[in-house]
Order: sequence, then structure tokens, then C-alpha cells
Amino acid sequence: MGTIRVRFIIVALVVSFFAVGMAAFLNYFKYKSTISSIVRSRVLVIGRNIENSVQASLSVGMQFMEIGTMNALLARERASDRLIQGIDVFDHTGQVIYSTERARVGEKVPNAWTDAAARSKSTEWGTEGTDEYVAGISLKNNFDLTVGYLALRYSSEEVERAAKVAGKEILLASIFSFLGIALVAPLALIVVIRRFERDLRALEAAASRLEDRTDAPMPAGSAFDTAIGSLRSSLREANASLDDLRARLDAGG
Amino acid sequence: MIRRAFLWFTVVAMLAVTDHAAQAQLTRPYRIYAITFRGKTDVERGFEDYFAARRIPVQITYRDLNRDNSRMPGFIEEIRRTKPDLVYTWGTSVTLGVVGTYDQVDPQQNITDIPVVFTLVAAPVLAKIVRDLKNPGRNVTGVFHVAPTETQIRAMASYRPFKSLGILYTPTEQNSVVVVEEVREVSRRLGFSVVAKPLRLDANKKVTADGAPEMVRELKTQNNVDWLYLPPDSFLGTIAQKSVIPAAMSVGLPAFASTEQLMETGALTGLVSRYHSIGQFTAYKAEQILVNKVPPSKIPVETLTRFALQVRMDVAEALKLPPPLPMFNYAELIVPKPEDRIQAALAAAAAAPAGAAAKQ
Amino acid sequence: MLEKNYLWRIYWRLAGVIMVCVVVALAVVSFFSHRVFDQELVPETEQKAATVAASVRALVLKATSYGIDFSQLYGVEQTFAEVFEENPEFAYMAVTNTDGNVLYTRGTEPIGARTYFRNAVVLQMAHETGEISNSARVGQQYIVSVPINDNGKPLGILHVGIDAAFVDHVLLEVLLDVVVVLVVSLFFTLELLNFMAGARLASGLGEFARQVDRMRAGDFTATVRIRANDEIGRLLRRIDSAIDHLNVRYEFLAGELQDKLRSATGARREALRPAQQAFETLSKRFRFGSAPEGSDTDEMNLNRIRAPLFAFILAEELTRSFLPSYVNQLLVAIPYISPQVVIGLPIMLFMLIVALGQPYLGSWSERVGRRRAMLVGAIMATVGFTGTALAYNLYDLILWRSLCALGYAMVFVAAQGYVLDRTGQQNRAQGFALFIGAIMVATVCGPSIGGILADNIGFRASFGVSALMSLVSILAINRLPTVEVRLATVKPTRGPRMREIMALLMNRRFMTLTGLAAMPAKVILTGVCFYLVPLYIVSIGNTSAMAGRMLMVYAVMMVLIVPLSASLSDATMRRDRYVSVGLIISGLSGLLLLLSESFLVLFGVVFLLGLGQALSIAAQSALVAEHCQEEIRIYGNDAVYGVYRLLERLGNALGPLIASLLVIVWGYQGAFVAISALVLFCGIAFTVATHGSEWQPAAVTQ
Repeated sequence: MGTIRVRFIIVALVVSFFAVGMAAFLNYFKYKSTISSIVRSRVLVIGRNIENSVQASLSVGMQFMEIGTMNALLARERASDRLIQGIDVFDHTGQVIYSTERARVGEKVPNAWTDAAARSKSTEWGTEGTDEYVAGISLKNNFDLTVGYLALRYSSEEVERAAKVAGKEILLASIFSFLGIALVAPLALIVVIRRFERDLRALEAAASRLEDRTDAPMPAGSAFDTAIGSLRSSLREANASLDDLRARLDAGG
Repeated sequence: MIRRAFLWFTVVAMLAVTDHAAQAQLTRPYRIYAITFRGKTDVERGFEDYFAARRIPVQITYRDLNRDNSRMPGFIEEIRRTKPDLVYTWGTSVTLGVVGTYDQVDPQQNITDIPVVFTLVAAPVLAKIVRDLKNPGRNVTGVFHVAPTETQIRAMASYRPFKSLGILYTPTEQNSVVVVEEVREVSRRLGFSVVAKPLRLDANKKVTADGAPEMVRELKTQNNVDWLYLPPDSFLGTIAQKSVIPAAMSVGLPAFASTEQLMETGALTGLVSRYHSIGQFTAYKAEQILVNKVPPSKIPVETLTRFALQVRMDVAEALKLPPPLPMFNYAELIVPKPEDRIQAALAAAAAAPAGAAAKQ
Repeated sequence: MLEKNYLWRIYWRLAGVIMVCVVVALAVVSFFSHRVFDQELVPETEQKAATVAASVRALVLKATSYGIDFSQLYGVEQTFAEVFEENPEFAYMAVTNTDGNVLYTRGTEPIGARTYFRNAVVLQMAHETGEISNSARVGQQYIVSVPINDNGKPLGILHVGIDAAFVDHVLLEVLLDVVVVLVVSLFFTLELLNFMAGARLASGLGEFARQVDRMRAGDFTATVRIRANDEIGRLLRRIDSAIDHLNVRYEFLAGELQDKLRSATGARREALRPAQQAFETLSKRFRFGSAPEGSDTDEMNLNRIRAPLFAFILAEELTRSFLPSYVNQLLVAIPYISPQVVIGLPIMLFMLIVALGQPYLGSWSERVGRRRAMLVGAIMATVGFTGTALAYNLYDLILWRSLCALGYAMVFVAAQGYVLDRTGQQNRAQGFALFIGAIMVATVCGPSIGGILADNIGFRASFGVSALMSLVSILAINRLPTVEVRLATVKPTRGPRMREIMALLMNRRFMTLTGLAAMPAKVILTGVCFYLVPLYIVSIGNTSAMAGRMLMVYAVMMVLIVPLSASLSDATMRRDRYVSVGLIISGLSGLLLLLSESFLVLFGVVFLLGLGQALSIAAQSALVAEHCQEEIRIYGNDAVYGVYRLLERLGNALGPLIASLLVIVWGYQGAFVAISALVLFCGIAFTVATHGSEWQPAAVTQ
């Protein structure tokens, strides 16, 4: 009796697993992208403060390479948010011109940064390294020529921690609701399956009495009534013919 | 002065000691022949700074017209003789002297075979230097410096929204008449009224400053305008400081300047092109021609994408019209005299942590 | 076919119950996610609000440093408006003085704000000079406050209000994807029901139904079958035993009659006459004995193709919504070829390989065996997907995609052959319905899920998922029966010969069908769905998931309408009208973009395109048989259909090429419009061409 029931229940479980899994996946990634965009936009607020100052300096005719107050400005802005680990300004070759860390000046930034900046359609860009994330702004001069890039390095810890917490909770919620389904779905399915099984049972019962000669009442109300009826009458007809033959044989001696 | 104007000075912009430097010294520097109108300005400084920053070796030979057109044939002759890689021209007069108008080019008097980059021409199409800004079609390209009229109107509105705009202009200056027309056109789209008053002409049909202060006062008291717009008008520039601005101040009418020169006469605010930026942009066009080998006929004539919005804080205080808060992010706030206060303000603008929101 | 419908009714009921459970589970997951989002996003947003507030404060202090009185500032509201524009989750901003009176404000003020601003603890903040901020829930907002203090001189307090409902908005964006997951789950459920239980049930019930029919017709021959040990198996065994009993009785009676006849003479023989007559009528009416072996087709094994085919096609379909974007990312400049065309190149090449490979792979798979051909194809595709996921640049990408294409063509052709091998004249249509069904469900589930994956785990990882899916299909193919079946009636297939191709290309009737209907339909399908939609959606700043949803709309239209239009066009026999209407609707679809460029309009485009294609697709190939009888008589069915399919698939390859060329000239929108206009033109031309009497529906054609 059980095999079909088990198969249907397995289907229900597989599908719910897929749906719940996808929902958990979607929620988790939405959460992660939301939180990282919140953190990034927070970092970019500071970036834009710096950008405004750079624009002001360029407007009064200062050379981008020679903004004397730049390092002090970067240091001050960096201090305004504990999240920010460092701020670099680099040129189109990727060479750092200004930085909150003296040692970085003259160094090359990773290619991923220049690539991200080049790919971005707006002036804002960003990359996510393993332990630090970067939010950047392309600095443009008065005739829209990109003169350099501002990169704010911030700790990935904040985003990772939040994602971990949320990931755990979403996972737990998913597991529980999946377990819930695993309990409820079979019960709910049994209602439908019962009817199916009743039909099959009726069919089997009818089949078991296919060869009954008596006019035993036929199990009624199943979807197979006509089929069974047809089967029975076919068999009966065949049997009747054979009976007839038997009788004639006997008669014939 | 004349003697000084004939003094030659040659600037060879060279690089600092870098790898590039070694390389650059091997290659011949690009030779640029530059003609200025009234001596060197910030434009030329920006022009040179750009090449230095981009490490492009150039050798610039400067000549000054010193507002005297009779010197032009000598320069043309020298250009033909020395065959520079590029000719740089400052202002409408110099540019026309070198390349002529597009419909009357004289190969005898004008340069046609050497690329010319002009700068600080207010209206290149009106002056018939090029037919189409996007597609010059001649061996000439360059940079103009007046912000588009609509941009100026919007800047004015972002300082204080207005319903009515007053303009004072010289009817004999074609430049001004065109701008006034443009303002009217913009007014129809943006929905404000324009009261434009031409300055009077004397018996000789020469423009005169007589009656200018009264006209300004009338604009405020009778026409009830919210702003006084000062179009790029040479004559207006000469009388603004003495008669126009004081009259406007007396009736509490804010003035908006369309050029740096007018801004200096004491207008409340104005959208101006920084000469240094203009020079850099001109150098960028020159780079396209010299280094990237793009023919000038295919390089569009453009102006800056970002202009300097200047605000005189003393005037703002006197008119009780402080700049709107977002403007503190990007405006250049001018605090007059003593001299060091300007420097302090500029330094502050460069260094102070500015606010969040948007740029212009 | 009462039993088939009966089974589907059961399926739908089961699917309904499963869907209800899934919806409840999704609601539970969403509820908990909302709680987590609230918990974690709010503090993070408060931090951001504090940073923004500090930045606005700096601006205010800059203004006051120029001597402007704190209470006389101008345009503060304008600054607030700019902040709102960049941070839609902020709903309210205000500056109060040191008494808590509001000086400047913008946005929706939460209930109780004024009282909160006058709170002594809040006001005390104004005297702080450090980087501090305070946050509290006020009404429907979280208010973040920072002091404005000019070097020890308290000026006031700046408040930023975060709309508490912003978390709802974030989750609302997930909802669309969740709906997609629901739709996919439904199809997935039906597919799985069919796979897990259905294949056996369906074949069991089918067997039962056939048995009933056979017996009604008087056929009581015993079949030698191994019955599965489940409900249906037991049922069939009962019937088998009843038949066996009958046969035993028959044999016995027949033997007895024989014996008696042999021994009887004269009168006795006469006495036996009625019995003999009865025996003769009986033999006429009924058939007994054992059934000839293998006369019947193996429906059970036929059904088994569905799962591996579904898994394999799904692997390819997953990539539909984001492949062009991925190519775009790996783009290498190829001299003299526009990047637009280069992006379409891998798709084009894929379709070309499938088109050209199919005729030859058909006979190849016959030689090596369908199962083995499918295995080889799936393995190649798996390698291809893995390579695509790790591709270095465009060049090796093209190589990997070609491998996928070859694998795809092999599996497709071999699976088709598998169905052909196991179906006879009467159940061929049913067999192909099964084949097409698996593909259609894959096209519903694939692009949408693929888009979601690509957005969240990236293009490369999503190709990894495709590789995995392809690997799963290998396992499923491996379970197919190793014994190859070949019905004697099926002639070995062959690719069309060049001579036949040329002759058919010159044939007006054939080319009207192929050139004006079949090819344009494919051009617009691949050009729009596989090339333009994914690229355009991303170009207007939307996501691959959105592109996937679009493609799902198309696929759902196909699933819903194709069966309907197929039976309707069969019933009315005016198939050419269905093709005309379908083509014209497809042709009108892209013109919608003339109205607006919003992506909602694009939904309309895909909807109409799906509708149009669904109406015409079934009728198209039937028309070939209907109207090209002459050609079929000359060249044979195989050749005509072979050329027809070849040209149709070349249309597939042309789609991205034409679309990319149009993009170069007119941009994305222009390309949509132009490609639609082209199909519209073909549709009208087809309508006109098929108007004549020569195109009146012919009599029955097979």
C-alpha cells in the first residue's frame, strides 16, 4: 500500500526543500547586498566630502598632484568614522599619490581597483577584497576628464559579521519551516492520496473478484467503475462462452 | 611697453627627473606657437600645467598682440617660417586674425595648413570661426568660456528662485543681443518673465552710460524684477562698477554676472569659467591633435562642464541674501579685503570638511 | 483515455496541496527574515544616518563660520531634499534650536516628534562637542540626532528620521523573486511527480487501460510481464491471473474438444457439432494463447527519458538570461567586428553548431546507441559548462560554448531518437508531447532561476550550477536501459543531401513556409529572447533576474498556449491562419517599445511574442506535411523535414546576428522595433502568399 504514498511525500519534500532553500538564499543575499550598500553609502558620504574639497582646490587652479592640504584632509576624514581603515588617492596608472598611510604613497593599488573604476558607469565604484572592502569615487576635473581616483578602504568585518548573524537566523528559520512542512505535508497529502488509494483499492478489490461468478455488488464510486465494469463484462462474456462450450461439449458427450 | 611686447620668451616645459623624463628628452618636444591678446594670463598657466602634469614635452613660443592688430602679419610670417606643430590663439581678435572667418579665408593672410587651437572666444559660431561647434570642419578647434545661458539661469534660480528677470545690455553689441534673445527663449521654457532694457545711444549712435542707474532702479521699483542679469557685454563691463552695481545695491536688487570680469565689478554672484581650467581644457584639445593625431576638424569646440559659482559674501550680507546651504558645498565664497582673508577663505574651501549633498 | 486524465487530476490535486504547504513555508521564512532584517539593518542605517547628519552639520557650521546667523540660514530644506534623494529610507529631517523649537524641517514628521525634540535629555546633547549621536524610536520612525555645536557654543540639534517601513520595501523587492520561485516550484512539482511516481503509475494505468481495451475486443492472450510490486502491479497481476485462468480453461476445453473429435465418429461427431460451432465462434470472437513478444511498445522506458532530458536542458536554459552579460564582461576587442556582434557570437555559434550538427548526429547516435550518444553529449556539455565558468576571455569562452553546443545537439538528437525508437505510429505524438513537455518545463524554470543565481552568486558560479545540473543529467542518463530498441518500421535516418537542399530552396511552396514563417519565427525568438532582452534589461539598469522573469513569461505562454493552439489548429485545419496570426502578433510585439522604454512595456513585448509564437509553432511544421506532399513524394519525408529543420535552426543562428547588427545601427529599442517589423512584414507576406486556392487545406495528410 505504501510505495506510492511514500513517493508522493518525497516529491513534496523535495519541492519544499527547493522552495524554502531558494527563499532562504534570496533573503540572505538580499540582506547581504542591502547591508553592504548601506555601509558603502555611509563610507561614500565621507568620500563625497573629500571630493568636494578636491573640486574646490581644482577650481582655484591647483594642480591635482600638488594639493598641499590633501594628506591632512584625508587623515581628518578618516578619523571621522571608525569603520574606515585608510584612504588613498591614485592616478590612472594606479599609483598612489596621497594616502592616510605615508608608506603607501608611490605604491601601486591592486588591479582590481583600477578595473572596477574603469568598468563603473557612474563616478562611484567599489570592490570587495578578502579582508577589506573598497568604496571609490572617480575624481573629475572641470571638463569631465578623470584626474584621479579616491579609494576608501573599510573593514569587511562589519558586513561579514552582520551577514553571519543574519545568515544563521535565516538558516534556522528555513530549517524549522522545512521541518514544519515535513510534518504537515504528509498529513495534508494523505487526504488526497487516500482517495487515490481508495480508488486503487477498489480496483484491486474488484480485480480480486474478477472471476467471481456471483453478482457480488461492485464497489461503486471510484473513478474506475466503468473500466472495471468493462473488464468484468469482458471476462464474464469470455467465461460465458467457455461455459457454453463446456455445456455443449458435455451435451455432445 | 612696446619693447616688452616684442620680448621673446620661450618656455620649454620639461619634466622632473623620472623615467619618463629620460624618454621625453629623447623625443623632440612638440613646438607650439602661442599668440596672446594682452600678455600672459592664467589661461596660459593652465595650458602649461596640463602638459607638465601629463608629462608631454612641449616647447611654447609666446607672442603678444598687445591689443594691436597691426602686429598680426609679422606673426603670420613667423609661423610660416618656423612651421610649428600647433598654433594657439587667445581671444576672438587673435583667432580671427590667424584663421579668418570660415566664409572668407585668405590663404595669403590666414594659416590653413597648421592646426590652430583657440581659447577664450566667447561665441565661436557668432564670430564665424566655426560653423558648427560639434563638427568644426576646419583645421581649427578650441574652447569657449561663457557658460551656456540656460546653465546660468538655473544657477541664478538655485541661488534664489525668481519670477522676473531684468537685463541691461548694449544694443550695438551683437554678442549681448544674442544672449538676450537666448534668455527670452529660456524664459518661455522655464516660465519666467524678462525685462530687457537697452542702454541709450547718443547722437553719434554711440552707446552711453547716461541713464543707466535710473534704468536699473526702474527695473526694481517699476518692473519688480527679482534679479539683474549682466550679459557678457564689453561696454557694460566698463560701467558696471561705477554706476550699475551701486544703483542695484541701492534698491536691493541682486546682480548675476555672466563673466569673471563682470563678477569683479561687484555682482552678488556669477557663473564663471576659471581661466586656469580653460587653459587646461585648451591643452587637452592640443593633446588630442599633437599626441593622439586627431584632425582638429573632427574635434568639437566645447566649454567646461563645470563652472565656478562665485559668491561675494559682503554683498550677500548687505542684501540679506545668504547663499543657500547646499551652495556652501561647491560655491567659491569671496570675502573681500583684507587680502589675506581671501586666501583664508580659499584655503578653507579647499580643506574644510564640506557637507554631503550634491555638486552642481 | 480516462485513466490519463484521472492521473493528471490526482497530480494537480497533489500539486495544489504541496503548493499550499510551500506558500505557508515561504511566509514563515519571510516573516523570520523580516525580523532579522529589522534587527540588523536598523542599527546599520542609524549609523549611516549619523554620518550623513555629521556631513550636513559640517555644512551648517561652514555657513555660520561666514557670519550667517544660525536662525537665518537659507536653503536648509533644499539640503534635506538632496539627502532624501540619495537616501530614500530617510523620511524626515529637522534642525531645532537649543530650546527644541524646529527651525528647518522637511519630510513627514512622525507623531510625537515635537515632544521628543523638547525632551531635556535630547536638548542636553546640544552641549556636546564630540562625535556623538543618539537614536530613538519616535512614532513610525527611528530618529537619529546629532548636536550642532560651534566650538563649544551650542547652536541646536539636527534630527534625521528613518522610515521604520524601509525594511518592508527591501523585502518587497525579494517578493518578486519569491513569486518566481513559486511558479518554478509548481512546474518542478509536476515534473517530479511525473518522474518519481508518475512514470510508473502512468505506464501502469496505461497498461491497465490497454488491457481493458484488449479484453473488450476479445483479446485474452497472456503477456509475459514482470509486474512491479506496487498497487498497480498487483492489480495487473490479478488481471494477468484471470487471463491465465481463462487461457487454462480454454486450452483444456480446446484439448478436450480435439480429443473427442479425434476419437468420435458418425453420430457422436454430429453430436459434437454444436460444441465445435461454439468453439469456432469463440475463436472468432476471442483470442487466446500467449501474445507475440515485443509487439508492444515499452511505455515505461519511454517515460524514463523525461528526467535526464529535463535536467540536461535545464542546465543550458539556466544560462539564457545572463550569458550575453557574461560575454560582455569577458569581451576582447576583435578588429573590424563591433562588440555588439561579438557579444552575440557565442550564441550564434551555439545555434549554428546545433543546426548543422543535428542531421549528422542523428545517424551517428543510431550507430553508437542512443544512451551512449546522450552520455557522450552530456559529458561534453559538462566539460563545456565547467570551462565556461572558468573562462579566461572571449576566445576560450567560444571554445567552451561550442563544446556545450555540440553536447546539446548530441543529447537532443539522441533523446529524440530514443523516443522515435520506442514509439509506433499510434503513440508517436504522445511520445513527442513528452519530449517537448520536458523541454518546455525546463525553459520555464531555467532562465528565471539562472537570473536569480547570476545576480546573487555571480556569472561564473551560476555556470558552475549549470555544470552540476549537467552532471546530474549524466547520472540520470546512465540509468536509462542499456538495451537499444529499434522498431522495424523505422528506417535509418540520414542527413539531407546537398541536391535535395538546393531543390527545396528553389521550391516556392516550401520556401513560403520556411522562409516567411519558420525562419523569421526563430530569428525573432533567438534575437529577442536570447540576445536583446538580457542585454537591454541590464543596459537600463535592471538585473539578470528581471531578464529571467521576462524569459519565464515567454515560456509560460508557450506552455499554456501551445497545447491549446495545436489542438485547435488541428481541429479547424486552417493551420496557415494560425501561422499568419501568430507571426503578425509576434511582429507587433517589438513595436510596443515605440510607446515607452520602461521594462513593463518589455513584459508586454515578451507576452505578445510568446503568444504569437505559441499560436504558430505547432501549426508550422504540420503545414509542411499538408502542403508539400508533392515534394515529400519526390524527396521523401525525411529529406523535406530535414531541410525544413535545418533552415529553421539556421534561423536560430541568424537571430543574434541580425539583432546585433540592428543594435549597432539603431540601438536596443530600434533593434526590437526593427526585428519585429521584419517579422511583421514576413507575416503579412505569408498571409498574402497563402491566400490563393492552392493553399486551401488539403485532405487528410499523414
